[in-house]
Amino acid sequence: MIAPGHRPLLIEIEDGPAADPASAATPFESAPFESAPTGTAIEGRAMQSAARLTTTRRSALGRLALWVFTALFGLILTVNATRFVTGLLASNPVLGWLAFGLFGLALALALIAGLRELAAYSRMARIDRLRDAAIAARATADLAAARGLVAELASLYVNRPDTAWGRARLAERAPDIFDADALLALAETELMAPLDARALTEIEAAARQVATVTAFVPLALADVATALYANLKMIRRLSEIYAGRAGGFGSLRLLRRVFAALLAAGAMALADDLIGSVAGGGILAKLSRRFGEGVVNGALTARVGLAAMQECRPLPFVALPRPGTTTTASRALAGLFGRAEKPD
Amino acid sequence: MVFSALTDGITRSVESAGAALSGSFFEPTLRIGVTGLSRAGKTVFITGLVANLLNRGRMPQLQAAGRIEAAYLQPQPDLTLPRFDYENHLAALTGDDPHWPQSTRAISELRLSLRSRPSGLFAAFKGPQTLHLDIVDYPGEWLLDLTLLDKSYAEWSEATLTQIAKRPEAATFMATARAEDGALRLDEPRAKSLAASFTAYLQDARANGWSDCTPGRFLLPGDLAGSPVLTFAPLPMPALTPRACLWREMQRRYDAYKSRVVQPFFRDHFAKVDRQVVLVDVLGAIHKGPAATEDLRRTMAEVLTAFRPGRNGWLASLLGGKRVERILFAATKADHLHHSQHPALTAIMAAMLAEAKTRADFAGADTAAMSLAALRCTVEETALRAGISLDAVRGRLLDTGKQAIMYPGQLPTDPARLLSPAREGAARWLDADYALMGFAPARISLKPGDGPPHIRLDRAAEFLFGDRL
Repeated sequence: MIAPGHRPLLIEIEDGPAADPASAATPFESAPFESAPTGTAIEGRAMQSAARLTTTRRSALGRLALWVFTALFGLILTVNATRFVTGLLASNPVLGWLAFGLFGLALALALIAGLRELAAYSRMARIDRLRDAAIAARATADLAAARGLVAELASLYVNRPDTAWGRARLAERAPDIFDADALLALAETELMAPLDARALTEIEAAARQVATVTAFVPLALADVATALYANLKMIRRLSEIYAGRAGGFGSLRLLRRVFAALLAAGAMALADDLIGSVAGGGILAKLSRRFGEGVVNGALTARVGLAAMQECRPLPFVALPRPGTTTTASRALAGLFGRAEKPD
Repeated sequence: MVFSALTDGITRSVESAGAALSGSFFEPTLRIGVTGLSRAGKTVFITGLVANLLNRGRMPQLQAAGRIEAAYLQPQPDLTLPRFDYENHLAALTGDDPHWPQSTRAISELRLSLRSRPSGLFAAFKGPQTLHLDIVDYPGEWLLDLTLLDKSYAEWSEATLTQIAKRPEAATFMATARAEDGALRLDEPRAKSLAASFTAYLQDARANGWSDCTPGRFLLPGDLAGSPVLTFAPLPMPALTPRACLWREMQRRYDAYKSRVVQPFFRDHFAKVDRQVVLVDVLGAIHKGPAATEDLRRTMAEVLTAFRPGRNGWLASLLGGKRVERILFAATKADHLHHSQHPALTAIMAAMLAEAKTRADFAGADTAAMSLAALRCTVEETALRAGISLDAVRGRLLDTGKQAIMYPGQLPTDPARLLSPAREGAARWLDADYALMGFAPARISLKPGDGPPHIRLDRAAEFLFGDRL
């Protein structure tokens, strides 16, 4: 006997949209898989904190507060400075004029610094534009665009003695080539290869530095600061190598961009890598937790460096192989933790 | 006779199996089949390729160029064939008075061995590897004979007679052939004069730019001149064909021509080709007009049906069932056009050979199409005419030896604008005008380490054998 509340039921729908199974939502949405909390697993705390520090976006209220306080402080500073100078001018004209001149100089210097930052922004924008143009020229097989691009690249590196050989080869071979992709590949192998080698040296140096400091320095915040500093310096050097020369703010902006991209891709977890399992969870961590931290931080720095390299490079990696994190990190850390370096 | 043919076949297959075995395990050999009608640029292509592989400065698109340690011209493996006269051809092209090499009159072969450092995962454990490239040069006229392989005498006669009926060059021969009665007994002088008349027609037709001049050996007989296999001509089939009549005798000779001349040529040089490059002089055909273009398209389509494209398993290649794995369709003489028109030229050539290309694609072979020049003899320049700047080329004219700037006309981006009127038998191009002048090789001064200048020869090399280096 069926309970009275559970009688069979049929509702006929007179008008309304027909059921369309094809576009309906999948009935069983599985819950997103969450990995179990790793507890004491080594995850490169210093680098994680550095990444969080640089990428946290303030709330609207925080930003408003920052703006208000900055404006207020600026107002106080300007008003007081004006009062100071005018007061001094009235009481002692010689000192007053001196103060006026110094203020003028300070303003001019600030202006110059601002202009330099602006120039750095435009240089970075130019690198971005070149990279986009290279991708577009390759996709559309537009030889004229590729030739213009390669000429611009050569002029970008015209003052760099380390690319002189490559530029000479490029100038010699480019007229022979009638395919956009081949021309870009030639430019990449001739111009980018020496710069890539230098960039990799920088990345390895930074990775080594971060690894050493986080492994040996016992202070809690010092490792975060070092990681941040080393990464900033590395990115600044990378953009100098590829002629972007991002200034101080530009480097910070670039670092934020790289960190944000890596965090979004989940690449700061180092879960997809051999180093993660070997150093983070396994052998090295069993030996020494601090060494494990050092290796993971170093590897993460290498990953940041490689991502930054792609951001700074005016051509995407096509003809040359993209350097891998594992190789770069192991090359950077070889010797640091007792592995004999192979003679190349 | 039967027994010797049988043992001959067995010996041959044992030999080829042995070669395949040693090739797959020790020193791989790659046969590159250079196919192209006469004047398509086979000899220049081979010479340019070899010269640029010996001096690899100009081969940036050949990825393995940096890993090649040495390239060496070996004595060719086939002891009965003359060697490809590379040195003389190169001297002709790059000498003080550069000129195009003489038209090829006989078959010749070349083996180029490349010694390269291996790449890849286990590169450190392997020593240098060697790759032998076997390249055969031959008169382009002979290639046409491949179209005869699956045609009987009756079919060939009918097709040929209907095709040439309207050609002015064939008027004399057609008159003779129509007057002949194939049912009469064979009279050797009559047969000889028929063959002579047909040969004269073929010579004229070739001189006037027709591509379908079969049988090819009539044009370049070599040591077969005057033999019965070259003493036949197409005849309309008479109602009655009694024994030993003229028509039957012609049929017998045609079949002998196929089995004794064409088949050995195909078997020895094309049946075992691994990679194939099809050279087509599209520009020349377009210059000559719609009829020549359609003629070229039809001839190439017929010739290419003789090849078997596809993928080679390693077992299949041991057992001897070889297929052409990669086919490159190349429009030659790209240096006669400014590079802005190369895509259009490539598209026209690809559309022209679409039949063969799709067949190969379907069979699993890799195909590519490009415009190339094995020896670049022009430089690009922009000419001003009536206020419009034209992308032209400058070089030394073949006829006069003077420097000239040439703009041959704008090729359509849609190949159908050319191929459709050609197929419909238009007398001339409707809304376009093409004037192509031949250029002579330029006098060049090469730096050490550089091969002669070319257009996309490195890309062609990369496609043809870059994967095996």
